[in-house]
Amino acid sequence: MTKSRSDLKKIIMDTRTLPTLPNVINKLNSLSDNEKSSVQEMARIVSSDQVLSARILRLANSPSYGFYRVSTISNAMILLGVNVVKSLALSSSIFAIMEKDSIGLWEHSLGVGAAANLIANKLGLPECEEIATAGLLHDIGKVIITIKCSEAEKDILKLAHERQIYILEAEREIIDTDHAEIGGWLSKSWFLPDKLSEPIAFHHDVAKSKNHHIKTAVVHIADVLICASGFGNSGESFVPPIQKIAWDTLNLNEQLLAELINEIEDRLVEVKAFCLEMIND
Amino acid sequence: MQKIQLILAKAGMTLARDVFRGDSPVGMPICGKGTELTEALIARFESMDVHNVYIEGHPIHVEGESSLDDLLLKLDYRFSKTLQEPLNLIMYDIYKAYLIKSMGGNSDQIAE
Repeated sequence: MTKSRSDLKKIIMDTRTLPTLPNVINKLNSLSDNEKSSVQEMARIVSSDQVLSARILRLANSPSYGFYRVSTISNAMILLGVNVVKSLALSSSIFAIMEKDSIGLWEHSLGVGAAANLIANKLGLPECEEIATAGLLHDIGKVIITIKCSEAEKDILKLAHERQIYILEAEREIIDTDHAEIGGWLSKSWFLPDKLSEPIAFHHDVAKSKNHHIKTAVVHIADVLICASGFGNSGESFVPPIQKIAWDTLNLNEQLLAELINEIEDRLVEVKAFCLEMIND
Repeated sequence: MQKIQLILAKAGMTLARDVFRGDSPVGMPICGKGTELTEALIARFESMDVHNVYIEGHPIHVEGESSLDDLLLKLDYRFSKTLQEPLNLIMYDIYKAYLIKSMGGNSDQIAE
């Protein structure tokens, strides 16, 4: 049975119905709110959960960030920032589902993370790691649809295929919302900062982003680029239209885009190898 | 750019990426991209545990791999809904040129 929009929102906002969140997160949240707490203290808490630490370190060493030598949680916290480590911890259970059951979406997400990082670096934007994380998480709403409405998901894919429309349009028709909005709800219920929740919620409609339109524009362009490249499989068959507002916000031009595509394709070779390694593990 | 096994590498090919000892990106870099391979260099890589190298163009055909024509057809399909958008058209042209170049095609095909 298809769930209505308000039902769906209720389910998503109720974190108890989501894949279990590690206990560590609550402690981490209270510590990061406290200005007196040190990175070492927070790192110790995360390190106490070995499985979680292993997952965070693996992601911190993924081509989305481009560090490759992050060997401890306190290193990760210093290099990536507490916000990023917290988001990786929060989403690690969702990533686990993606790695196992939706490899195409996992590759797409890692690809967008890597592309967002490269764009942010090339444009000299601050907080590249946050932007990469937003890229990594941008389609998290799709995983929620898979977990919570697997029947509706089949209908969405079928409708998109039959009518040759975008997944986003099919989602709106069948569940009266879309993966971007659901991702936005989820990031709110996780208390992720706006700089992560806005790019997730508005990566298909950059104009709606109020405080972080540059980060949202980067994630939008990164998503379009990875779709255009045909890397991974987000379920989407067609390249979405590039939003002019995103193009203008980032001051893109043809030459810059050509350079970016070369760099991204180069990095995607590493992303592919990283995904294969994870699948074989 | 193509990733090939070192045993398929031949003198005259050009490296498209840096080569690292033991194929590990955190290992020691031993040869920079842009270097033209020689028999001596290939033998040296062998002794340093390098199994794969990235080379310019696409000189080795691998069974089951998509041909340039397949790749271009798929690209056309992905862009089929947005080619009338000027910005998407710019992106399409860059990707098309990129694919042709990475598969070792020449500039005549790009102009077509």
